[in-house]
Amino acid sequence: MMIPVRCFTCGNVVGEHWDEFKARAREGDEDPGEVLDDLGVDRHCCRRMMVSHTDLVDVVSPYQ
Amino acid sequence: MSEADFDVQYIERDDRSARVLIRGLSPAFANGIRRAMIADVPTFSIDTVRFVENSSVMFDEMLGLRLGLVPLTTPIDDFEIGDEVTLALDVAGPGTAYSGDLVSSEPLVEPADKNVPLIELKEGQRVELEADAVLDTGKEHAKHQGGVSVGYRHLQRVTVEGDLGEFDEEETRILRGVIETEDGEIVPTEAFDHDLSERYPGKEVSVEDVPGAFVFHVETDGSVDVEELIVRAIGTIEERADELRTTIAV
Amino acid sequence: MELRVIDKSEAELRIEVAGEDHTFMNVLKGALLEADDVAAATYDVNPEQSGGQTEPILTVKTESGDPLDALEDAADAITEKTTALSDAVRAA
Repeated sequence: MMIPVRCFTCGNVVGEHWDEFKARAREGDEDPGEVLDDLGVDRHCCRRMMVSHTDLVDVVSPYQ
Repeated sequence: MSEADFDVQYIERDDRSARVLIRGLSPAFANGIRRAMIADVPTFSIDTVRFVENSSVMFDEMLGLRLGLVPLTTPIDDFEIGDEVTLALDVAGPGTAYSGDLVSSEPLVEPADKNVPLIELKEGQRVELEADAVLDTGKEHAKHQGGVSVGYRHLQRVTVEGDLGEFDEEETRILRGVIETEDGEIVPTEAFDHDLSERYPGKEVSVEDVPGAFVFHVETDGSVDVEELIVRAIGTIEERADELRTTIAV
Repeated sequence: MELRVIDKSEAELRIEVAGEDHTFMNVLKGALLEADDVAAATYDVNPEQSGGQTEPILTVKTESGDPLDALEDAADAITEKTTALSDAVRAA
């Protein structure tokens, strides 16, 4: 629904970088891998948190 | 080993992450420090939340979990385990509530990261809450862990044994961590793409662990800085040794 | 930290150290083994699943001298090391 605050595996705070990652790699056309390198999210456990995430707030909000 | 001389050398250093080479440690002691960094150094974390209003798409409990995971800066000297600090959040949609919107009653204890999205709010939705952060250790709950992915490897000494035979195939030799060369130079393996054959082409090399030398990888979630975390971890072991001594004396 | 002596003779001591885990017990065991007059030192933490008790039990055997003194010396040795190491970390 919302990006998890921390990486499930290592506990690193990944939520901090979500907005920038979303703006540059999802809405922008930069390479996700390069953006993550740039943000300092370098372990693959943390990277998958960002790469595989989908915001679902818009989907569930009508059913409040 | 009481006459042990410790030698501490930072290989990489940042506020939140570092690689530290420590010489003169016994394996038991190295592991004690590692475990203490993970489980025994206390940090603040939100533990109790009182909701005044929550009309967001998430349940109170879900928001409570997210709030608990937000790292809070922790000046450990000024507080004791069990101390509480109150924070408040009041955000109305449309918009997103960020960790930076948390208002703390204590300026020393505030969110270490300001851009963590807590909950996205639509038109007409609102979240108002009061939260108590408590100082506790990682042993109690993982959200109180100050150290993130703390670990160590042996320092490895690489010795050149001679040239590779004329018809020998050059093979990759993958190594991770930090090496010490024959002339005492400390080189992280990233420098040669973790491949010894890049650094010593055409050479026959041998690798061995350096006894008592550990390369710690220390990363924090922002609640304390790296040096503080290491020193505190050592401190908790010292405290327990002192406690043992006084208990025996009684 | 609560200590409960289970067994004590001239050269052997079995003691329960309540509230500790591998973090400190292993450091303590290491410090004991480095002492000259300690013949053997070990600790045992029964996992909860075994249905046994969970507090670590430390066993110390000495070649000469009181094992309690050896324990006290080990605590001193740890303090000495931690102080030196803290200073070294702060200095680096």
